[in-house]
Amino acid sequence: MSESTIIIASVEGKKRRSWTFTIGAIIVGLQVVIGLMTLIWTPFDPSAMSGGRLGAASLVHLAGTDRLGRDLFSLIMIGSRIALTVGSGAIVIGGLIGITIGLLAAFASKTLDDVLAAGLDILIAFPTLLLAMLIVASSDGASLTTAIVAIGIANSAIVARLTRILAKRVLSMDYITASRISGTSWLGVVMIHVLPNIWPTLLVNLALQFGLAVIAEASLSYLGLGAPPPNASWGRLLQEAQATVYTAPLGAIAPGIALVSLVIGINLLADGLRDLADPTRRSRR
Amino acid sequence: MSGLTTRTGSTLESRQMRARTALAAILIGALAAGSALAADFDADATINIGSLYEPQNLDNTAGAGQGINEAFNNNVYEGLFRLADSGEVEPVLAKDFKVSDDGLTYTFTLQPSVKFHSGEPLTSKDVKFSIERVTSAESKSSRKNSLKPIAGIETPDDATVVIKLSSRSISLPYNLSYVWIINDTATNLTATEDGTGPYELADWRRGSSLALTRFDGYWGQKPSNGDVVFQYFTEATALNNALLTGSVDIITSVQSPDSLAQFKDNADFTVAEGKSTTKLLLAYNDRVAPFDNVKVRKALARAVDDAKLLKAVWGDYGTLIGSMVPPTDPWFIDLTKTDGYDVESAKALLKEAGYQDGFSFTIDTPNYDPHPIAAQFLQGELAKIGVKVNINVITANEWYSKVYKAHDFQATLQEHVNHRDIVFYGNPDFYWGYNNPKVVDLIKQAEASTTTDDQTTKLKEANTIIAEDAASNWLYLYPQIVVSAKSVTGYPLNGLNAQFFAGGIKKAD
Repeated sequence: MSESTIIIASVEGKKRRSWTFTIGAIIVGLQVVIGLMTLIWTPFDPSAMSGGRLGAASLVHLAGTDRLGRDLFSLIMIGSRIALTVGSGAIVIGGLIGITIGLLAAFASKTLDDVLAAGLDILIAFPTLLLAMLIVASSDGASLTTAIVAIGIANSAIVARLTRILAKRVLSMDYITASRISGTSWLGVVMIHVLPNIWPTLLVNLALQFGLAVIAEASLSYLGLGAPPPNASWGRLLQEAQATVYTAPLGAIAPGIALVSLVIGINLLADGLRDLADPTRRSRR
Repeated sequence: MSGLTTRTGSTLESRQMRARTALAAILIGALAAGSALAADFDADATINIGSLYEPQNLDNTAGAGQGINEAFNNNVYEGLFRLADSGEVEPVLAKDFKVSDDGLTYTFTLQPSVKFHSGEPLTSKDVKFSIERVTSAESKSSRKNSLKPIAGIETPDDATVVIKLSSRSISLPYNLSYVWIINDTATNLTATEDGTGPYELADWRRGSSLALTRFDGYWGQKPSNGDVVFQYFTEATALNNALLTGSVDIITSVQSPDSLAQFKDNADFTVAEGKSTTKLLLAYNDRVAPFDNVKVRKALARAVDDAKLLKAVWGDYGTLIGSMVPPTDPWFIDLTKTDGYDVESAKALLKEAGYQDGFSFTIDTPNYDPHPIAAQFLQGELAKIGVKVNINVITANEWYSKVYKAHDFQATLQEHVNHRDIVFYGNPDFYWGYNNPKVVDLIKQAEASTTTDDQTTKLKEANTIIAEDAASNWLYLYPQIVVSAKSVTGYPLNGLNAQFFAGGIKKAD
């Protein structure tokens, strides 16, 4: 994500940026690598009953096996790919819709702006899960796509509200008026003045939304509203492990660690990004 | 009978078997009293029963769910008969009954001096009122259809009820065991009660507990405890913890073998395995291709290693079944060899049916355990014969509307808890759409039988045919596991119709 810009923006904060950003980047990077790897290789065929019922962790089965004797480590690796797919998909959808609506509201007449703002507030007040359930219920059954769309739409409201506020702040500046007077079109204003001014904050927000999307995906899958089996989402692995949590706690702990580490990684990354992108914050430290 | 009950669905009629144990306990209790033995239990004890099945309301004709049968059957409400824990039908409020030679008139004499909790005496009018509540148009009782042969109810005097039938119904006493006898002046039955049982309702806290207290005016044997509190949990782990910490004394039905580990090797707890009637089914929509082809259904039955699935879900518990009839039913036959696990012959059958290249279909899978894991297992098994399974995860409500009501499905997984539910195969309009005129006829004839032997013969024949037809894929029979604190005894063991008779439960001093 625009490494060069970040470095330019943080000449004096270079030392401080290091740990949160770096650790976050390492964790997320690792998960991305694992997720991509599953496209060509996993230790075991994830649907094969390669071990005994609830086998313990061993060198062969690094995270043990589930009730059907499937290799949990392979399933968790695939879960990584699903989490990242849903997270990325959701922020792309959320970002595109959110930024568009946010800018529209910022530029719109007072009435339209009020209507859009009220609409966004209502959408934000709707819990993501409820919204997702509605979308799943109105579509032809739960799938990876419905999960991405549902989480993306829920995210878009938050992105839109932020975009609107940030854009309005920029638009109230005198130089915008000057720019308009000198003949810049509205689209030009957006491209030249608004977006470059608001993107650092937006980027941080999108990164945070990514983490929330990963959690939302796990929650949906836990409830059976995410990607249907045999897609090994972490949420579903947790749900399936619930019945055997006493005798085989690893079945719940392992996907739990995977989920928590990815979300922490993303949050550290976002935190690092914020420190780097926001000069006021940096100087306060 | 066309209603059915799922664990989360409407009325369920399991656990009545437990009545038998309760009755036995009562008898033993009476004997003990007779021989002047000192009681070694606390006669006023409060028994805390932990359950996952909170009733939606308190009326079993208003879609209250299986939880209401668990809490109220033979505890708060009694019927003319009851299904005992052994599976036998015993008279309760019916002291005696006579059947006319043509089998169309049943004359019941009621137990004398029975009082409702409100203090009013039981009369024949209450019985008429109660049966008509179940058969009325508004009733959501799953037993409504089985009471269809009732043409009229007469009440010649306060102690006599005459039921006229339009056709013979050998199961009438059995079916009447599902009818609660309620005071005919009672109102607001979804939130209050007025029954004749050994306990009356003390307090119902929605989402948490339902407390019953001993009814001093009870006509029969006094319960061997003072109060019974059903405590409701939404999550099995929380329920297990409650037993471990002593906040409940008994868990009515343990749903995972793995949680048993913490009780089995612990001297403070008793783990008891009874017999359940809950079956896990892969039910096909027999109306639609390719499931209208018996060869395809048989092939699918042979391709699935049920023993492996049972082991995965239940460890060393549970029983394999070859048809809808569990071993506790009189018409049980061991049919596990019919279409037993044999991948090669499954492939051959598919080829004969013209599906040598396989096909794909969708299993509508309820989103709670064990359905998703079972669906994935089936996916793996059927892949071996070239059949591709898509899994569509749905909620219990969606199952009810999409599968049960609208028949809009190819195949589905579902746990069927009902007792004596082979009769569902005699109803071509049932959700799975199995329609074999021979079976329909046999089940109809069985009901019109004059002797139980005759009924048993007919139902055994029907049972064999549905197994040969592989009408559904019966995966396994659930175990029924009750876990209690060591100090508590006398509870029912079997899982018939989700009943849990509390009267015989004793808690050591």
